[in-house]
Amino acid sequence: MLAVSVDSVELHRKWEESELAKMIPGGIRFPMLSDSRGEMGRDYGVYNPHAGTDRRGRFIIDPEGVVQTIEITCDVLGRNIAEILRQLRALQHHRETGELMPCGWEPGKPTLPEESEAPRIFGKVWKTWKLRNAF
Amino acid sequence: MGTFVGAPAPEFRAEAYDNGIIREIGLRDYKGKWVVLFFYPADFTCV
Repeated sequence: MLAVSVDSVELHRKWEESELAKMIPGGIRFPMLSDSRGEMGRDYGVYNPHAGTDRRGRFIIDPEGVVQTIEITCDVLGRNIAEILRQLRALQHHRETGELMPCGWEPGKPTLPEESEAPRIFGKVWKTWKLRNAF
Repeated sequence: MGTFVGAPAPEFRAEAYDNGIIREIGLRDYKGKWVVLFFYPADFTCV
């Protein structure tokens, strides 16, 4: 987990010590990066030049350094942590098994056949995968 | 957008506050691991 804003490391420290450590048991245990010139924000397409801040963008990057999923929300709307964990678990399950991960997948729910097998069920997915699995 | 799904994540190198210490961190430090990189607008705000 890596957090980034344009704020300085000094401000990150002050915020962590004075507020986040009170909100979260044990405080923040992952790095808080300082993107002071907005360089990282620009490279990742989330820098907001009107405000001079980085937008609320979240990137899941695989062990080879390839971006797998992206979500960016407007400033008023916070993230859904459960969804980040769900995506991470789904990506890891796919990596281990090759299975495709359907809509709404969570551990314990059915998956779809791995890519080379998948064409066999094209047009017939409705027979095995039900809409209720999406929720 | 400068970054696309399926493309290599842009390399970066930045100062960070990490568990009480200040140190430099780069994406390459995490090669071999899954990374959740999340940006946010500002410290001391509420969302």
